[in-house]
Amino acid sequence: MMDLIIPADFSSLIPAGEQGELRAQLNRDRRVMLLSGSPVANQRSEVSGVSARVCRAGSYGFASAPEVSGEALRAVLKSAENNAAVLDRHLNKGKAARKPVPRTLVSPAVQWVDAEQKAYLDYLRELDGWIAGLPNLVSRRLVVFCDSTEKHLLTGDGAEAHTAIPRCYVYVNLTAETKEGAPVELFKAFGGFGGFDDWFGDPAALRPEVEMLHAQLMDKREGIYARAGKFTCILGGELSGMLAHEAVGHTVEADLVIGGSVGGPNLNKVVASPLVSMTDFASEAFGKPAPLPVYCDDEGVEATDVPLIKDGVLVGFMHDRESAARFGQEARGNARAYSFSDEPLIRMRNTAVHPGKDRLEDIIASVEDGYYLINTNNGQADTTGEFMFGVTLGYEIKKGKLGKAILDTTISGVAFDMLKTVDMVSDEVIWSSSGFCGKKQPMAVGLGGPALRCQLTIGGR
Amino acid sequence: MDKLFQAAQAALDALLALGAEKASVRAASGETVELNALGGEFTLMRTLLDQSLSLTAIKGGRRGTAKLNRLDGDAIRQGAEDCLAVAESGDADPAWDLAPAPETGDFVSGALTADPDRLFDRSKELLEDIGRKFPHVIVEEMITEHKTETEVYLNSVGSRFTNRVGRYGVDLMFSGHQGDTATSFFGSSVSVPDLEKPFLELGTLANDLEAAERSLVSETTQGSRMGDILVHPDLLAEFLEVAGELFCGDSALIDGTSLWKDKLGQPVADPALTVYVKPLDERICGGERYTGEGFAAQDYTWLEGGVLKSFMLSLYGANRTGLPRALNTDGALVMAPGTKTKEALIAGIADGLLVGRFSGGEPSPNGDFSGVAKNSFLIQDGKLGCAVNETMISGNLADMLKNIGGISAELVCSGSYVLPWVVFRNVVISGS
Repeated sequence: MMDLIIPADFSSLIPAGEQGELRAQLNRDRRVMLLSGSPVANQRSEVSGVSARVCRAGSYGFASAPEVSGEALRAVLKSAENNAAVLDRHLNKGKAARKPVPRTLVSPAVQWVDAEQKAYLDYLRELDGWIAGLPNLVSRRLVVFCDSTEKHLLTGDGAEAHTAIPRCYVYVNLTAETKEGAPVELFKAFGGFGGFDDWFGDPAALRPEVEMLHAQLMDKREGIYARAGKFTCILGGELSGMLAHEAVGHTVEADLVIGGSVGGPNLNKVVASPLVSMTDFASEAFGKPAPLPVYCDDEGVEATDVPLIKDGVLVGFMHDRESAARFGQEARGNARAYSFSDEPLIRMRNTAVHPGKDRLEDIIASVEDGYYLINTNNGQADTTGEFMFGVTLGYEIKKGKLGKAILDTTISGVAFDMLKTVDMVSDEVIWSSSGFCGKKQPMAVGLGGPALRCQLTIGGR
Repeated sequence: MDKLFQAAQAALDALLALGAEKASVRAASGETVELNALGGEFTLMRTLLDQSLSLTAIKGGRRGTAKLNRLDGDAIRQGAEDCLAVAESGDADPAWDLAPAPETGDFVSGALTADPDRLFDRSKELLEDIGRKFPHVIVEEMITEHKTETEVYLNSVGSRFTNRVGRYGVDLMFSGHQGDTATSFFGSSVSVPDLEKPFLELGTLANDLEAAERSLVSETTQGSRMGDILVHPDLLAEFLEVAGELFCGDSALIDGTSLWKDKLGQPVADPALTVYVKPLDERICGGERYTGEGFAAQDYTWLEGGVLKSFMLSLYGANRTGLPRALNTDGALVMAPGTKTKEALIAGIADGLLVGRFSGGEPSPNGDFSGVAKNSFLIQDGKLGCAVNETMISGNLADMLKNIGGISAELVCSGSYVLPWVVFRNVVISGS
């Protein structure tokens, strides 16, 4: 078998009455990096294989092999059944078989379209050519990163899905020096769902946004350290998306709820200001395609939206079939695997805070003494909802006007406390999708949000 | 091994036949047996077979790489063509190179065959031990595994290495719970060559589980002050790795952003600080045996008495900067023990924190960092107090390495490092 399509009759090999999946998968990635004009990375990777997962009376067995063939499929299915049997013999859980999921058939919305490696490099060279002419830069790092996850899935209860998530980005990282000689940098990712040609025709098209990044870096060169303590802050859309994903989303993934996360005891309780609503979107969000559309998960469940917070009340968890049965709720397509050798885990798709009605300019004008926090390079959160985000770009606000840029700092808080302080929400959602979520396996996810006015603790220097 | 040799040789021949002037190939295969528990209950058993082929070609000073996970003839030919196409698309850079002379080695370490029943027994024992000794801990996730990897490296200079590694590992994520009170999550992991000891006796597992229960009583600190922090060996490894990347790595030195770029042979850290990078140390599990550029890996001294003895440059980085390359490209950090016990170090701190985990943004290129001190405890007047909430630490990594307040006599072997607990002086501690 040279392509990923598993013959339909293979589903009959999965033991009757048990949850089981067969998956063939191909992950591709392309990466080119220019460091101050010189190529320092130039690579292609293709990883493919098959896997099987079988559930026997509540115990799961999984196996994978790096070969896409009928022989490999039979072998991994046998190994997965054996693993489920070994675990069942030790544990004897005696759970009833899962309720079958409706048959679904999903084709990829966008196919992977490969580009020659030279095209990536030529693009970066041209982009770098004029970035090099921007004043006061000590170094510049430009990267093209494209990846694609294509899967074909058959399940024991008749679901079939052929899906693909291709995405492509250009990362621009600029470094300058403060007058004391200390390096400062800023980073921005461009691109999204689709192929290289969908996003990156003429490098000049990026010029306005890269010039804006450069101007912000020049502000940061003259930047000051933020004061430590609690302030009225405007959390820009990139950061509110990070908050939605890291500090709320993970705590309402049902496997983490089972592990004791703060989401569990707060279901149906007020966890945020009534201005705050949040959803894990499947394929569309706010009337447009979601950044990384998911139509069907790796258990064969058709993907639909999962409302998480509605008007400040925590209303739902994200599930796989196992946890949905345990909680008596509905699985909505959150069981996702990154590589052919990964089992499906409960993962977010496109998680966002809903937009409000305020204009960003009015929110800034409303702050007497605080900070507007725009970009981040890192975010972590705890199962308690306590979060920490690195802030790489921000400005102080004095008497309703933007002041000096701030140097790198960190903000922290507890999500369900901080969200209760939100009193203004902007009308525009900023999405990002260029990174990976890490939870045993990496995963491409979308995250977004509007600007939020709230009370936040800043780490200062 | 024969199949890997054949694939590696075929790939090397294909690269050279396509015009590569220098080339290297790594063919590898592996098998993992893994047990998963969620919420303290076993849920999944996995068997994973894998293989990979990594190709590198240099042609006209231009370098390309390709990676695939098939070893059949068609895939090898395609991979070689891709690799050359990648190289031909790039710019010439004379810094790309391989080790000048052929080097060889055959290495074997650890248990090469999995014992799934013993692994299950040790895993079950760990869950039972935790339930009995740490009743307020919920194990959110436990992954235990046995992994074997076999690899063959060949290059056009004539280097040939083989390496077979077997290891067991445990990775725990857990938190403390009592009534409505829940702690932050804790993570603890360790790799070992065999299953001789119960998992609970390894690494810092017992320490970390106890810390999760102790964290159930916590308080929020107020105000901002300078204090001393005693850092967990896991966190010390993170700090040292970041310092290595920011001050001694390829990018920082090629870029010129490293604060230590002119400091080789000069003091950059506290005289008490000596750090080695020792992948060959027998306490390191599956450490590097050869580099991707075809050198046999050797241990080296990174910092000795605070003096910078080596950068962490690859051959490429060394050629780009004119500085000497490091003798390996691993991150196996090893320190010698100090003279005081961890308890004595705590007794010497008037005002500070024991920091178990740091949740912070990436430090700036100049080493500035700030973030939340997680799984951390107050130390006042030499006594360990209750856990702290919403408390941040901030400082500068380069400055911090110059202010060592003590190194513990206890060493922790995680399988990937051998490090003590270390006190850093004068770090900013900010409460809410």
